[in-house]
Amino acid sequence: MNSIAVKKPLLIFGLIATAFVIASCASTAPTCTGPQSKNLSTAISTAQSSLMEGCHAHFDRYYDDLLTIAEGDPKPENKREFSQFLVWSTDKGLLSNRQAEDYYNRFFNVKFMSLKGDYNNCSHTCPNKQKVLFDMERELSEKERGLLKVSLDNEGYYRADQLYQEVELVLEATCTACSARR
Amino acid sequence: MNTTARILIPALLVIVATMTTGATLANTPTIRLFPTTVVEDLRQTGNVARDMETGLQEVIGQLDQQQELYHESKCDGAEDDPGCQRLARQIGASYLDMLTIMEERLPDMEHTVNNTRLSLEKGLRNELGRKMTPWTLQETLIGSDANKAVKKSSPTLRGRSGMRLSERFNQYYQLVATSGAKGDQSLAVLASDIYLDMEETSLLIQRTRQEIARATLMEQLNQSFGIITPEMIEVVGGVKTILFGDEEGQALVAGPPPGSVEQAYRSPLEQ
Repeated sequence: MNSIAVKKPLLIFGLIATAFVIASCASTAPTCTGPQSKNLSTAISTAQSSLMEGCHAHFDRYYDDLLTIAEGDPKPENKREFSQFLVWSTDKGLLSNRQAEDYYNRFFNVKFMSLKGDYNNCSHTCPNKQKVLFDMERELSEKERGLLKVSLDNEGYYRADQLYQEVELVLEATCTACSARR
Repeated sequence: MNTTARILIPALLVIVATMTTGATLANTPTIRLFPTTVVEDLRQTGNVARDMETGLQEVIGQLDQQQELYHESKCDGAEDDPGCQRLARQIGASYLDMLTIMEERLPDMEHTVNNTRLSLEKGLRNELGRKMTPWTLQETLIGSDANKAVKKSSPTLRGRSGMRLSERFNQYYQLVATSGAKGDQSLAVLASDIYLDMEETSLLIQRTRQEIARATLMEQLNQSFGIITPEMIEVVGGVKTILFGDEEGQALVAGPPPGSVEQAYRSPLEQ
């Protein structure tokens, strides 16, 4: 009877302690909500804070949110803001250099990252031509967003569009020549 | 000491700059896509095409006049009239002349087109296919002006230009086929464009030659009856479209005298 009387307060204490632990865990988990500000610099600061507080797994979403915010106030300086944000991300170890380059160039450079490759065109590009062109097309829409809608770099975007068409033509001819056995 | 430094530093900078530029130029890949033979082949193809067009122009003019006379004589619906039959035979004979000219000229055309195609094929395979990665190909296309403005005088790409040589041959083929189907920038881009054009042209010439042989036989049979088939009228109208740029809908209307329309024609080979 006595042992039951002793155990009961211990059980209650244990339950309360567990509840505290669960509650404390819940309060420290990052919410990882996207930046609310319409100002790009402020939004980048908010995103940086969130990323440093454990939301780095959501980097893609933050980058997309920042692009959307920048589309609301397009200007050439936005390019630099994004570049600095990506450099900061590599400094903080959130991205590798290669990843940061990819994030930047896919949106803000005329050149296509989809064309990265170490093997010659006959042996590697031609057998995968359709995929390469599909990837380039997708990247072109990212450049439309980064160059045209975020940075107002119309000339850059049109050059990228022209480059896409040139690559399509030259690959068609080159791959036909590679496969010719006459 | 200060004076020496003032002279030496700029001099060193100039030397370094010169060496860097030299190194950059040395690293720029040189692509050999247009050896002398290709240029010569291209010129010859243009000449052969022009010869064929000139040869056809005369016979087309003759056909125009004969057709006009046929219509003015109200021969439509009066095919049994001996005079109309004579006129129809004359038109048929001119039509055969036209097919003969095409048949005579096409082998030359085929030869020069194939030479050009094979030379370009070799160049494209070696220079762009085997020596380059997709990235170096991109850098070749973009040149050093990646972020500069789009060139205003950009070259005409496939499908954007007017009627290309292969399109013309496609029309020749469509016209002769009696199944009656109615139916500026980098050398790499230029070479690709010409190569693909030559590839199509070569195939179309082959098919056209086969169809000419068949159409010639059919017309030789028709000659004994002295009739004008709709196919003949269509073929003649179509050839006019190709040579003189007449609209298809006006194919049956007599064209202007051959001499005056020469200027209106623009060959796709014109640069």
